[in-house]
Amino acid sequence: MLALSESDRITTALVMMALDAAALRHQAIANNLANVHSQDYRPQRLNFEEQLSALRHAVDTRGSITPTALAQVRPFIETGAMRAAGSLAEKMDMELVKLSQNAVHYQSLLKALDKRGTIFSLAVNEGRR
Amino acid sequence: MNYLSAFKISASGMTVEKARLDVTAMNLANVHSTRTADGRAFVPMQVISVAKQGAPFASYLSAASLHGAGAQVVGVRERNAAPRMVYEPGHPEADGKGFVAYPGVDPVGEMVNLISTMRAYEANVAALNAAKTMALKALELGGNT
Repeated sequence: MLALSESDRITTALVMMALDAAALRHQAIANNLANVHSQDYRPQRLNFEEQLSALRHAVDTRGSITPTALAQVRPFIETGAMRAAGSLAEKMDMELVKLSQNAVHYQSLLKALDKRGTIFSLAVNEGRR
Repeated sequence: MNYLSAFKISASGMTVEKARLDVTAMNLANVHSTRTADGRAFVPMQVISVAKQGAPFASYLSAASLHGAGAQVVGVRERNAAPRMVYEPGHPEADGKGFVAYPGVDPVGEMVNLISTMRAYEANVAALNAAKTMALKALELGGNT
Protein backbone atom coordinates (compact mmCIF):
# COMPACT_ATOMS: atom_id res chain seq x y z
CA MET A 1 0.00 0.00 0.00
CA LEU A 2 1.71 3.14 -1.18
CA ALA A 3 -0.46 5.95 0.10
CA LEU A 4 1.22 9.11 1.30
CA SER A 5 0.92 8.27 4.97
CA GLU A 6 1.80 10.56 7.86
CA SER A 7 5.07 8.76 8.60
CA ASP A 8 5.98 8.93 4.93
CA ARG A 9 5.58 12.69 4.86
CA ILE A 10 7.62 12.97 8.07
CA THR A 11 10.40 10.86 6.53
CA THR A 12 10.54 13.07 3.46
CA ALA A 13 10.55 16.24 5.56
CA LEU A 14 13.34 14.79 7.71
CA VAL A 15 15.46 13.88 4.68
CA MET A 16 14.94 17.35 3.21
CA MET A 17 15.97 18.91 6.52
CA ALA A 18 19.07 16.71 6.63
CA LEU A 19 19.90 17.89 3.09
CA ASP A 20 19.57 21.51 4.19
CA ALA A 21 21.75 20.74 7.20
CA ALA A 22 24.44 19.18 5.00
CA ALA A 23 24.38 22.23 2.70
CA LEU A 24 24.67 24.51 5.72
CA ARG A 25 27.52 22.42 7.15
CA HIS A 26 29.32 22.76 3.85
CA GLN A 27 29.04 26.54 4.18
CA ALA A 28 30.48 26.43 7.70
CA ILE A 29 33.44 24.29 6.58
CA ALA A 30 34.02 26.46 3.49
CA ASN A 31 34.01 29.50 5.76
CA ASN A 32 36.58 27.87 8.08
CA LEU A 33 38.80 27.09 5.10
CA ALA A 34 38.43 30.59 3.63
CA ASN A 35 39.48 32.12 6.95
CA VAL A 36 42.57 29.99 7.58
CA HIS A 37 44.72 33.14 7.65
CA SER A 38 42.17 35.59 9.09
CA GLN A 39 42.83 37.41 12.34
CA ASP A 40 40.47 36.98 15.30
CA TYR A 41 38.48 34.27 13.56
CA ARG A 42 36.13 31.94 15.41
CA PRO A 43 35.66 28.59 13.64
CA GLN A 44 32.06 27.64 12.82
CA ARG A 45 30.25 24.36 13.20
CA LEU A 46 26.76 23.07 12.58
CA ASN A 47 24.32 22.26 15.36
CA PHE A 48 21.91 19.62 14.04
CA GLU A 49 22.65 16.07 15.18
CA GLU A 50 22.36 17.18 18.81
CA GLN A 51 18.76 18.18 18.19
CA LEU A 52 17.88 14.83 16.63
CA SER A 53 18.23 12.99 19.96
CA ALA A 54 14.78 14.28 21.01
CA LEU A 55 13.29 12.83 17.82
CA ARG A 56 15.10 9.55 18.38
CA HIS A 57 13.63 9.41 21.87
CA ALA A 58 10.13 9.97 20.41
CA VAL A 59 10.63 7.08 18.00
CA ASP A 60 11.84 4.82 20.83
CA THR A 61 8.94 5.59 23.15
CA ARG A 62 5.98 6.21 20.83
CA GLY A 63 7.16 4.66 17.59
CA SER A 64 6.54 7.81 15.54
CA ILE A 65 7.48 11.46 15.16
CA THR A 66 4.83 14.16 15.32
CA PRO A 67 5.00 17.14 12.93
CA THR A 68 5.20 19.51 15.93
CA ALA A 69 8.28 17.68 17.25
CA LEU A 70 9.84 17.93 13.79
CA ALA A 71 9.09 21.65 13.55
CA GLN A 72 11.23 22.27 16.64
CA VAL A 73 14.35 20.92 14.93
CA ARG A 74 16.24 23.55 12.98
CA PRO A 75 19.88 23.21 11.84
CA PHE A 76 21.92 26.34 12.57
CA ILE A 77 25.56 27.46 12.47
CA GLU A 78 27.26 28.24 15.77
CA THR A 79 30.64 29.83 16.37
CA GLY A 80 33.32 28.20 18.48
CA ALA A 81 36.05 29.62 20.70
CA MET A 82 38.50 32.25 19.43
CA ARG A 83 41.72 30.92 17.99
CA ALA A 84 44.99 32.66 17.25
CA ALA A 85 45.54 33.55 13.59
CA GLY A 86 47.11 30.71 11.64
CA SER A 87 46.42 28.01 14.20
CA LEU A 88 43.47 26.90 12.07
CA ALA A 89 46.03 25.98 9.41
CA GLU A 90 47.01 23.02 11.59
CA LYS A 91 43.41 21.81 11.57
CA MET A 92 43.01 22.28 7.82
CA ASP A 93 43.35 18.55 7.12
CA MET A 94 40.58 17.74 9.58
CA GLU A 95 38.33 20.34 7.96
CA LEU A 96 38.98 18.71 4.58
CA VAL A 97 38.08 15.29 6.04
CA LYS A 98 34.80 16.77 7.31
CA LEU A 99 34.26 18.35 3.91
CA SER A 100 34.54 15.04 2.01
CA GLN A 101 32.45 13.23 4.61
CA ASN A 102 29.73 15.87 4.32
CA ALA A 103 29.72 15.73 0.50
CA VAL A 104 29.29 11.93 0.56
CA HIS A 105 26.58 12.25 3.22
CA TYR A 106 24.72 14.78 1.07
CA GLN A 107 24.89 12.49 -1.95
CA SER A 108 23.67 9.47 0.02
CA LEU A 109 20.66 11.49 1.23
CA LEU A 110 19.91 12.48 -2.36
CA LYS A 111 20.19 8.83 -3.37
CA ALA A 112 17.69 7.84 -0.68
CA LEU A 113 15.25 10.53 -1.82
CA ASP A 114 15.70 9.42 -5.42
CA LYS A 115 15.05 5.74 -4.60
CA ARG A 116 11.89 6.71 -2.76
CA GLY A 117 10.73 8.44 -5.93
CA THR A 118 11.52 5.28 -7.88
CA ILE A 119 9.16 3.27 -5.66
CA PHE A 120 6.32 5.66 -6.43
CA SER A 121 7.18 5.64 -10.09
CA LEU A 122 7.03 1.83 -10.05
CA ALA A 123 3.55 1.95 -8.51
CA VAL A 124 2.34 4.54 -11.00
CA ASN A 125 3.60 2.46 -13.93
CA GLU A 126 1.82 -0.68 -12.59
CA GLY A 127 5.05 -2.44 -11.80
CA ARG A 128 6.67 -1.91 -15.18
CA ARG A 129 10.00 -0.09 -15.23
CA MET B 1 20.72 24.13 -1.35
CA ASN B 2 21.93 27.67 -1.76
CA TYR B 3 25.07 26.77 -3.64
CA LEU B 4 25.76 30.37 -4.67
CA SER B 5 26.80 31.39 -1.16
CA ALA B 6 29.05 28.32 -0.87
CA PHE B 7 30.76 29.34 -4.11
CA LYS B 8 31.08 32.92 -2.90
CA ILE B 9 32.68 31.86 0.39
CA SER B 10 35.31 29.70 -1.33
CA ALA B 11 35.96 32.38 -3.97
CA SER B 12 36.58 34.99 -1.26
CA GLY B 13 39.06 32.63 0.41
CA MET B 14 40.85 32.16 -2.91
CA THR B 15 41.02 35.93 -3.43
CA VAL B 16 42.61 36.41 0.00
CA GLU B 17 45.19 33.69 -0.65
CA LYS B 18 46.00 35.17 -4.05
CA ALA B 19 46.61 38.57 -2.42
CA ARG B 20 48.95 36.88 0.07
CA LEU B 21 50.79 35.20 -2.81
CA ASP B 22 51.14 38.56 -4.62
CA VAL B 23 52.62 40.22 -1.54
CA THR B 24 54.98 37.30 -0.88
CA ALA B 25 56.15 37.44 -4.50
CA MET B 26 56.66 41.21 -4.19
CA ASN B 27 58.73 40.79 -1.02
CA LEU B 28 60.90 38.13 -2.66
CA ALA B 29 61.28 40.17 -5.86
CA ASN B 30 62.59 43.12 -3.83
CA VAL B 31 65.18 41.25 -1.77
CA HIS B 32 67.95 43.29 -3.42
CA SER B 33 66.07 46.56 -4.03
CA THR B 34 67.94 49.36 -2.27
CA ARG B 35 65.03 51.79 -2.67
CA THR B 36 61.61 52.16 -4.32
CA ALA B 37 60.84 54.41 -7.31
CA ASP B 38 60.01 57.36 -5.02
CA GLY B 39 63.39 57.14 -3.28
CA ARG B 40 62.25 55.61 0.04
CA ALA B 41 63.62 52.31 1.29
CA PHE B 42 61.55 49.24 0.45
CA VAL B 43 59.92 47.60 3.50
CA PRO B 44 58.53 44.03 3.33
CA MET B 45 54.73 44.01 3.31
CA GLN B 46 52.14 41.86 5.10
CA VAL B 47 48.52 41.13 4.16
CA ILE B 48 45.93 41.58 6.93
CA SER B 49 42.76 39.55 6.41
CA VAL B 50 39.67 39.07 8.57
CA ALA B 51 36.41 37.14 8.39
CA LYS B 52 33.68 38.83 6.40
CA GLN B 53 30.29 39.09 8.10
CA GLY B 54 26.99 38.73 6.26
CA ALA B 55 24.97 41.89 5.62
CA PRO B 56 22.82 42.82 8.64
CA PHE B 57 19.62 42.93 6.63
CA ALA B 58 20.25 39.59 4.96
CA SER B 59 20.67 38.07 8.41
CA TYR B 60 16.98 38.60 9.01
CA LEU B 61 16.17 36.62 5.89
CA SER B 62 18.36 33.58 6.46
CA ALA B 63 20.19 32.09 9.39
CA ALA B 64 23.18 31.20 7.22
CA SER B 65 24.20 34.74 6.30
CA LEU B 66 24.23 35.75 9.94
CA HIS B 67 27.49 33.90 10.47
CA GLY B 68 30.00 35.24 8.05
CA ALA B 69 30.40 35.11 4.32
CA GLY B 70 34.01 34.17 3.70
CA ALA B 71 37.16 36.19 4.22
CA GLN B 72 38.41 39.57 3.03
CA VAL B 73 41.65 41.54 2.87
CA VAL B 74 41.45 44.67 5.04
CA GLY B 75 44.90 46.00 4.31
CA VAL B 76 48.49 45.50 3.24
CA ARG B 77 50.79 46.90 5.91
CA GLU B 78 54.52 47.35 6.20
CA ARG B 79 56.17 44.70 8.29
CA ASN B 80 58.28 45.74 11.24
CA ALA B 81 61.63 44.62 9.83
CA ALA B 82 64.97 46.41 10.23
CA PRO B 83 67.00 46.83 7.01
CA ARG B 84 69.81 44.38 6.33
CA MET B 85 73.11 46.32 6.26
CA VAL B 86 75.70 44.88 3.87
CA TYR B 87 79.25 46.22 3.56
CA GLU B 88 79.75 47.12 -0.12
CA PRO B 89 81.96 50.25 -0.31
CA GLY B 90 81.87 50.36 -4.11
CA HIS B 91 78.07 50.37 -4.32
CA PRO B 92 76.61 53.67 -5.62
CA GLU B 93 73.93 53.56 -2.89
CA ALA B 94 76.38 52.92 -0.04
CA ASP B 95 76.33 55.30 2.95
CA GLY B 96 79.36 57.15 4.38
CA LYS B 97 80.68 54.03 6.13
CA GLY B 98 80.32 51.87 2.99
CA PHE B 99 77.15 50.03 4.06
CA VAL B 100 74.18 49.41 1.72
CA ALA B 101 70.71 49.07 3.29
CA TYR B 102 68.83 46.15 1.78
CA PRO B 103 65.20 45.43 2.82
CA GLY B 104 64.84 43.10 5.80
CA VAL B 105 63.13 40.38 3.75
CA ASP B 106 63.21 36.99 5.45
CA PRO B 107 63.53 34.54 2.52
CA VAL B 108 62.85 31.43 4.63
CA GLY B 109 59.79 33.01 6.24
CA GLU B 110 58.53 34.10 2.84
CA MET B 111 58.91 30.56 1.46
CA VAL B 112 57.01 29.13 4.43
CA ASN B 113 54.31 31.75 3.77
CA LEU B 114 54.27 30.69 0.14
CA ILE B 115 53.69 27.03 1.02
CA SER B 116 50.94 27.72 3.56
CA THR B 117 49.25 30.11 1.11
CA MET B 118 49.30 27.44 -1.61
CA ARG B 119 47.85 24.82 0.71
CA ALA B 120 45.09 27.17 1.87
CA TYR B 121 44.29 28.01 -1.75
CA GLU B 122 44.07 24.30 -2.59
CA ALA B 123 41.76 23.72 0.38
CA ASN B 124 39.43 26.44 -0.92
CA VAL B 125 39.46 24.83 -4.37
CA ALA B 126 38.58 21.48 -2.76
CA ALA B 127 35.63 23.10 -0.96
CA LEU B 128 34.52 24.69 -4.22
CA ASN B 129 34.69 21.35 -6.05
CA ALA B 130 32.72 19.63 -3.28
CA ALA B 131 30.01 22.30 -3.54
CA LYS B 132 29.90 21.81 -7.30
CA THR B 133 29.59 18.03 -6.99
CA MET B 134 26.82 18.37 -4.41
CA ALA B 135 24.85 20.88 -6.49
CA LEU B 136 25.16 18.81 -9.67
CA LYS B 137 24.09 15.64 -7.81
CA ALA B 138 21.02 17.50 -6.53
CA LEU B 139 20.14 18.33 -10.14
CA GLU B 140 20.10 14.60 -10.97
CA LEU B 141 17.32 13.99 -8.43
CA GLY B 142 14.44 12.18 -10.08
CA GLY B 143 16.21 12.09 -13.40
CA ASN B 144 16.30 8.30 -13.78
CA THR B 145 12.71 7.54 -12.90
